[in-house]
Amino acid sequence: MTDPLTRAATSAPRRARRRATPVAGAALALLIAVAGCTGADGTGSAATDTATPVAVTVTGPLCDVLPAGDEPGNPTSLAGQPADQALQWIPVLTTFEAAVRATGLATELNGTEGVTILAPTDDAFAAKFSRTNLDELLLHDTDELRGLLRDHVVTGSLPVAELAAAGTVTTLAGTSLTVTGGDGGARVADRADTVCADYRTANARIHVINQVLGSLPTTAGDEGDDHHS
Amino acid sequence: MFSTLLAAVLAATAMPAQAFGQTATVAQMQAEPNQVQDVTVVQGDGYATLAWTHVDGATDYQIERTPIAEDGTATGAAVIVGVWRPNRQINNDKPTFADAGFAPGNRFQWRVRARLGTTAQPYSAPVSGATKAHWGDLNTPGQNLRTQWEDTLGAQYTSDVNEYAYTAAIDQLSERVRVVEIGRTINNRPINMFVIGYPTPPATPEAVAATNPLLVNCNVHGNEPGDREACFIMARQLAFTDDAATLDRLSKTTMLIVPTINGDGRAANSRGNSTGQDLNRDYSLIRQPETQAFVEMVRDYRPIASYDGHEYGNTNTGDLPMLSPRHQNVAQGIFDESQNMIEGHMYTQGAKDGWWACPYGCTGASVGLGEETILRNTLGLKNTVNSLLELRSSGGPTRPDEGNTANNRRRKTYSALWTFTQFFAYHSANASNITTARAEAIKFQSANTGRIVFRGSRPIPAHPAPHPGDTPPPLDAPGQDQILNQPPCAYKLTEAQYNGARTDGPAGRQTTVAQRLAAHGWKVIKVADGYLVPLSQPERGLVPLLLDGQAAEGLVDGERIAPTLTGTHNGPLTVSGVACLAGATVRGPIRVKPGATLIVNGSSINGPVDASGAAGFVLTDSTVHGPVNATGVRGPVVLVGNKTNGPVNVVNNTGDAPLVAGNTVNGPLSCTGNTNAPVNIEVANTVSGPKSSQCARL
Repeated sequence: MTDPLTRAATSAPRRARRRATPVAGAALALLIAVAGCTGADGTGSAATDTATPVAVTVTGPLCDVLPAGDEPGNPTSLAGQPADQALQWIPVLTTFEAAVRATGLATELNGTEGVTILAPTDDAFAAKFSRTNLDELLLHDTDELRGLLRDHVVTGSLPVAELAAAGTVTTLAGTSLTVTGGDGGARVADRADTVCADYRTANARIHVINQVLGSLPTTAGDEGDDHHS
Repeated sequence: MFSTLLAAVLAATAMPAQAFGQTATVAQMQAEPNQVQDVTVVQGDGYATLAWTHVDGATDYQIERTPIAEDGTATGAAVIVGVWRPNRQINNDKPTFADAGFAPGNRFQWRVRARLGTTAQPYSAPVSGATKAHWGDLNTPGQNLRTQWEDTLGAQYTSDVNEYAYTAAIDQLSERVRVVEIGRTINNRPINMFVIGYPTPPATPEAVAATNPLLVNCNVHGNEPGDREACFIMARQLAFTDDAATLDRLSKTTMLIVPTINGDGRAANSRGNSTGQDLNRDYSLIRQPETQAFVEMVRDYRPIASYDGHEYGNTNTGDLPMLSPRHQNVAQGIFDESQNMIEGHMYTQGAKDGWWACPYGCTGASVGLGEETILRNTLGLKNTVNSLLELRSSGGPTRPDEGNTANNRRRKTYSALWTFTQFFAYHSANASNITTARAEAIKFQSANTGRIVFRGSRPIPAHPAPHPGDTPPPLDAPGQDQILNQPPCAYKLTEAQYNGARTDGPAGRQTTVAQRLAAHGWKVIKVADGYLVPLSQPERGLVPLLLDGQAAEGLVDGERIAPTLTGTHNGPLTVSGVACLAGATVRGPIRVKPGATLIVNGSSINGPVDASGAAGFVLTDSTVHGPVNATGVRGPVVLVGNKTNGPVNVVNNTGDAPLVAGNTVNGPLSCTGNTNAPVNIEVANTVSGPKSSQCARL
């Protein structure tokens, strides 16, 4: 009888080393910490390479706990990046960012016209969807998820002040969003507030918001124990 | 004159850090009423432990942190980063608080103040210090590796690509580490395991098992990655540390770290695997390739203790919710030792270092129950001392609510690193207790005594408040319909049940019952009209949970096979077909006809037992006055927990490795010619005579 584990146990180390050999130099170069430590980016992406000299200022109560100054992922370092890459550097957007990848929305986000991305935080997603519902959206119902994301993207790269001044904007999904201003931010669809606005990317503005938009039903709390691990 | 100076000095201390070294001295000499005294700070990996002298009548304490420059001047705002409450630790007279969340290496000043009710009292004199940088010397090969998560200061989690490069680099640079691919995910991502020993890890799974290894499963839910990052850091520490105590520990055991069992879910940021299956509801059923690979690894490497890492979404909880295997079929000793690991070790060390370990839930939430599909319970049923670990929530009663920010990610990961490091220390200090509990559990389970509970938990007793364990999870006692008072001897499966195609599991990857029972490592006897799975084997408590029709989440409805003899039999006994003796007394020899099956639990036999040529032979928890012959058996041979007066012969058996464990043999133990050498799964036999050949080390 075959025993896959035993086989793996005896052959894998060699396989692992073989795998390691061609990449070892590059791997080490990427993995070894740089003294001073800022911007030593394991993925080797453009965070520091293409940082523009223009300092980007973001506004909102959540900005204080997001990367700032010369920390990896600081707003200035994201200014030259494609929108989908920039999303990977904003820690509170892991759900939104995963949803962009799951739906292949990057092409729409990175289009030349420019877009405004109203990106709900992880806390907002957790308050909106049960964990089962969220997994279904991420893994199976990606068409539905794409529709939801397009409810969060507006054509044209609008600073938050312009967004608030517009009063009404239209999303990629074709829905209208009313926008009101105040406190240097914006309130969208009478429910979501910007909590850290005016991230700039190569062709987009990202405004982090604290509620999920769109028309999907709220399922958080449907399960008896929504936090069970 | 002096009082004017003092007033000026105290005013200065109210502002962050101006010549604080001198003011601290003065302030300590002239304490204000209820001012916290004797604040100390000790730096750990990613956290700083503050300790101070208790203030009589204090309701709680607030901990304030201010970033400072080399010269002590403040470089940012002072922030309350924590609240110490009496139920955070077991000894309230020596309060401690582990501050975390800061970027490693930065310099801070801390102050502590008591509150009486809600009334804040004067702050302590400040203490300051540089926190530890990321572990490892930047000029030492191996030590200077960093993960993507570390390099980005927590802004990004370590990607799969970065994981493989980091893992390969450790594998290549450290003789202490062997990276084993234990399987692949559905999307063909490798599931790697660090096997770490000093100076080198044992070469085979069997050799690793002989070192009583410990295991950390780091990331089953893809959207709970905090523990995984801790595992990467710990693997680097173990691979490249010069710490003598750690090397001593690694010379006596083997550390197994599975960083990413659910690589597909991690990449997708989903809880489940790529099919959406919650893998932590699949460790018994093993429908998925990820859980199957893990269970096969457990079968072959046999960890004696384990932690399973998670993150908890509840905002009203402690730092580190933990929970033992509570399912009532878990052997008492495994439950007790798991509780000792949590309440004895983690609560005690948490009080020293300032981390708040507590029972899962911490608030009485309806979590942490008896599902055997959860790894915590599955491993307990496999006789492994273990605990679930949850990393603290986004907010909470004693920490700021900072969502999924880098601050909070660092709190989670470095508290996981503390836990896993303490787990290793616990394992080293308690190895003999753990192995004793495990040996007793294996003998108890193999004896097939006592009722079977399909679902239901042992209670976690509440400690009188305030205490970390003052609010345990719900009782979760089994209902009457979840209890089977008379255990069967075995389950019989039909050919179709055993080898038939199944529809559960991912498309194209479904496995048969036969494959799953083999992955668990269970003994199965081929009989004329099907397959017998005896309960008298080391994972007895899990067997009915998969094979009984009454099971809550069963695999297949096997036929219960009742004992054939429970009373006294005088004279010779000849076995044809299947005989099952439970609590029986036989006064005379037992002869098993070729091709027949004999299963004996808890019986007394006055005479020789000869199972030559049997299809299967299982003898547990029994007394035999006379020789025992297991010769030429084609299927399983299981001899566990027996007392025999006379020679025991295990010879020329052709099935899987005979299990000879925990027996007391008054006579010789002879093992030759077996296709697979007999094993004792680290449960030693006591043999008065010589142990020969294949049994020499049993």
